[in-house]
Amino acid sequence: MDLRILEKNENSMRFVVTGISTPLANTLRRIILAEVPCMAIDDVIMIENSSVLHDEILALRLGLIPLKTDLDGYNLPEECTCNSELGCNLCRVVLTLDVEAVDETRTVYSEDLVSEDPNIVPVSSKIPIVKLAPGQKVRLEAYAKLGRGVAHAKWQPVSACAYRYVPTVEIDKDVCDNCGDCVDVCPVGVLEKTEDGVKVVNEFECTLCEDCVDACKKNPAAIKVSGNREAFVFYIESTGALPVERIITEALEIYKSKFKEFANQIAVIRNGSEKTD
Amino acid sequence: MIGDKWEEFAKRVKAGEDAGKVLDDLGVKRYCCRRMLLSHVEIIDEIVRFYEKGTMEKEDVM
Ligand code: SF4
Ligand code: SF4
Ligand SMILES: [Zn+2]
Repeated sequence: MDLRILEKNENSMRFVVTGISTPLANTLRRIILAEVPCMAIDDVIMIENSSVLHDEILALRLGLIPLKTDLDGYNLPEECTCNSELGCNLCRVVLTLDVEAVDETRTVYSEDLVSEDPNIVPVSSKIPIVKLAPGQKVRLEAYAKLGRGVAHAKWQPVSACAYRYVPTVEIDKDVCDNCGDCVDVCPVGVLEKTEDGVKVVNEFECTLCEDCVDACKKNPAAIKVSGNREAFVFYIESTGALPVERIITEALEIYKSKFKEFANQIAVIRNGSEKTD
Repeated sequence: MIGDKWEEFAKRVKAGEDAGKVLDDLGVKRYCCRRMLLSHVEIIDEIVRFYEKGTMEKEDVM
């Protein structure tokens, strides 16, 4: 297996993995989307809400604010020893919001949330939550907890997670008459028309849409595109809740523990059947 | 994340800038992100208006 990072920014990463199968690539994608935990506001206790938004809508908006997550400092509520509905210090963080518009209409932002843990705060300070007219007030306590995307999208640590096959574009020089139709139709500029035939100049960007193949008047087409089923271009974009690297290592850990559990299950079945034999 | 980009987007488009260019500027690339901002109608402004007025009237009575 080979891994090559193509591009890395603060919250996103593009990389190529070679030598794995499609099921493994897809398993990783699905674990990242549905099972890598992150923090999000879950229960909200409304003390006062005279805004124009109903309590439920306000709570939903709070839930969808990405929070910086500390995976090592907190337990998943279902794995915590406290077993309590609203959680304990080990499995939840309380954020409070207490804002009143006095003289003029004001917007309540994510930065108005006051967290009891300075590590668990909104990823961005400028997410609008609600607008308050003069005299309107919002007072609430919000309980942030770890959760998984499988239960609610607010617990997805990524805003994008996708992979595609590494593409190959080939032109049969003997058949191609350099008409250039494929060059014009390609949406991402993979091809270029030159004196001595159409050239593949940007192969990696090919999305395997096959528009060029359809555009080619030759039968069979002089151009052929194919995806390498053992090489994947991954793109992962974090919401800011966790660093991309941590999301990936966490996904691999989860995969490992699932595999172990599967192996255990098989062992149990095998032992059981040996006894009945 | 696009939640924190709405206000700048709305302000700049209102000031006459081309919506597509503003989105490019803000780094909003995917069309599913872009349509969220492009098609958003800030209804809360329409509703909050009545409460602003209500407050004023109350003051007038007093
Ligand atoms: S398959 Fe699509 S993206 Fe790839 S070269 Fe052909 S037209 Fe371009
Ligand atoms: S459309 Fe077909 S024949 Fe024309 S340049 Fe492309 S590959 Fe060659
Ligand atoms: Zn607990």
